Amino acid sequence: MYQYDSIDKTIVNERVAQFRDQVQRHLAGELSAADLQPLRLRNGLYMQIHAHMLRVSIPYGMLNSAQMRTLAHIARKYDKGYGHFTTRQNIQYNWPELADVPDILADLAEVEMHAIQTSGNCIRNISSDQYAGVAPDEIIDPRPYCEIIRQWSTLHPEFYWLPRKFKIAVTGATNDRAAVQFHDIGLEVIKNAEQEIGFRVYVGGGLGRTPVIGKVIKEFLPREDILSYCEAILRVYNLHGRRDNKYKARIKILVNALGIDEFRTQVEEEWAHFKDQELKLHEVDFDTMQAFFPLPDYEVLDDGDARLEKWRSLDTRFNAWYEHNTSAHKHAGYRIVNVSLKEHGVAPGDATDKQMDAMADIADQYAFGEIRTTHEQNLVLADVRQQDLLDVWKALDAVGLATPNIGSVNDMICCPGLDFCSLANASSISIAKQINEKFTDFQELYDIGEVKLKMSGCMNACGHHHVGHIGILGVDKKGEEWYQFTIGGDASNHAELGTRLGPAIAKDKVGDAVVDILTVYRQQRQDDERLLDTFRRVGVEPFKDQVYAEQA
Amino acid sequence: MTANRNLKARPKATPDRIQNNIQSEKAIVDRAIVDSAIQHVAETDALSVADLPSSAVSVPLNLWLDERDAVIARGQPVAVQIAADESPEDLADQLDSIDMVVLPFVSHVDGRSYSHAYKLRTRFGFKGEIRAVGDVKFDQLGFLTRVGCNAFELPDGENLETALRAFDEFSEVYQPSADQGRLIFSRRRAVH
Repeated sequence: MYQYDSIDKTIVNERVAQFRDQVQRHLAGELSAADLQPLRLRNGLYMQIHAHMLRVSIPYGMLNSAQMRTLAHIARKYDKGYGHFTTRQNIQYNWPELADVPDILADLAEVEMHAIQTSGNCIRNISSDQYAGVAPDEIIDPRPYCEIIRQWSTLHPEFYWLPRKFKIAVTGATNDRAAVQFHDIGLEVIKNAEQEIGFRVYVGGGLGRTPVIGKVIKEFLPREDILSYCEAILRVYNLHGRRDNKYKARIKILVNALGIDEFRTQVEEEWAHFKDQELKLHEVDFDTMQAFFPLPDYEVLDDGDARLEKWRSLDTRFNAWYEHNTSAHKHAGYRIVNVSLKEHGVAPGDATDKQMDAMADIADQYAFGEIRTTHEQNLVLADVRQQDLLDVWKALDAVGLATPNIGSVNDMICCPGLDFCSLANASSISIAKQINEKFTDFQELYDIGEVKLKMSGCMNACGHHHVGHIGILGVDKKGEEWYQFTIGGDASNHAELGTRLGPAIAKDKVGDAVVDILTVYRQQRQDDERLLDTFRRVGVEPFKDQVYAEQA
Repeated sequence: MTANRNLKARPKATPDRIQNNIQSEKAIVDRAIVDSAIQHVAETDALSVADLPSSAVSVPLNLWLDERDAVIARGQPVAVQIAADESPEDLADQLDSIDMVVLPFVSHVDGRSYSHAYKLRTRFGFKGEIRAVGDVKFDQLGFLTRVGCNAFELPDGENLETALRAFDEFSEVYQPSADQGRLIFSRRRAVH
């Protein structure tokens, strides 16, 4: 993975010193809380209901074992022994003291990490495919491009005070696992007919209060132009995005107001001023960056290990984990291991310091010392020998990280909700528990198959509910928590927003409603249909009838 | 000759313009604390050159575009404001007549003026002073300098000596801007 040179180190260390100075000026009364607020946000520090929350950047979800150990250390030393992995592949801590945050940042800097631009109205962490470099359906490894964009966007002086936050995602695979059509800029790395590498560029996608699917602004952008083109988009947005209403300030609103053709015209006009100047990248830049993401030292192996097959037939728990939590790898004899952070009874995405340390050890022993985070709030060991899977499973199982529920209805995306977040209308963690309790039988879970359940505690949609196969949104009705359901959302290549099911549902009936939806699915499905496929065929009515039957 | 040179409407006195005149005793210019005597005159719908005080002023862009010759005839250095919701393009062919461009910040979280400064320096080649005034404090100075501002007036009560520290917070940067023209990758290219 990418390793800092002296320039990267200097920038991160100087950012730590700058933030330390900001905190000291605040504590000395020289910088008001109001003036500190946008500054601390740009370093990932929020004020939540109970305490500060610090969000640490994990660029495109890549971690090495030393970094994971530091994340564990921070959880132990400065927090209550756990951290929460987020839908932007970052981690956040819910209980740090303001005065400790500069020290936390200094600890992070030691392992080449930071909290720069994890919040605030600026360019956020670049997110990507958690299977980058190892997925069988990958066309081009997106990580070198992610890192190039990360560096350009870090502390960009002109785009630090945008109308609103700005999110960029990159995918290089046939199946989009990074939801690029739901980003302010979404990039698909592709090859044109001449086999040249470039990007299909989407702009103006996003979730939040006004969910919008991104529009194609450029069918093929040569890769050497990626920074200049992003800069042109950002400059048009910085100058013309709305600033009078924060709910209408994202780029999607500007793109919709102008229309994609007029927006494209403005971007191209701006781009023409500087497209062939300093921001144009050279072949050697890509080669240099690609060298940071070499193929690991794979052994020459065959698929199908005898010991593995034997244990799959002997141990049903192991076999269930193998089938649901591991995926095909592009190199023979290896497998991708998904590590579920959705253990029953635990807030989705949470991991303890012990679990993080265990992950680091397991990664060192079996996975080239590397771990990825996913936007679905799980972890990934990308390169595990098939012959090691049994040992990896045992090690993960020993620390509660082998729940075989990846892709199931229990593998839900969930924001922190009312338990922590000052924006939330409703709790989501307790709802996750309620749903978990309805699906304790793994055989039933497997029979239901792939369901992407996504839940947000308010309209800001941190839990991406609009693109859940089942989406649940917490709303406030006269001081009570109610839940609005959608069905049929899809964050993949066939991007789709969910259809509203009907009136909001009472808090204690949410689990029942999920059961009702899945009952209808199991009655009506044909052949290998997933919930999403059945929904697309039969529409919302049968689900509606079942869920609201009691009220009728 | 410059009156109404733009066919598009140029709204006046919008909420994105300063609502009151701004004058500071001190300014930071090229990293040094100096006395300041210029008054930044707020726009009103009917403002004309005849209403201006005889001392040094910066004038709203609209006044400059409407009464350019009268502004020059005052015999003072010419200083023109570009508000966040205005465009430096409107001034681009007249920069030779202008000594100072003033970027008034109604709110420091409004980043449009950063793009204005960047364009003035890198696209239109403006060599005069670019002065940020209004809601501009310590923590904005570093990036404002990067995009091309070289002068600052801070609100009353801000410690200018402390603020001078802001210019040395970062010794390395990734992007080209008005302060330096190199992209990080082109610098690394030179090393290899």
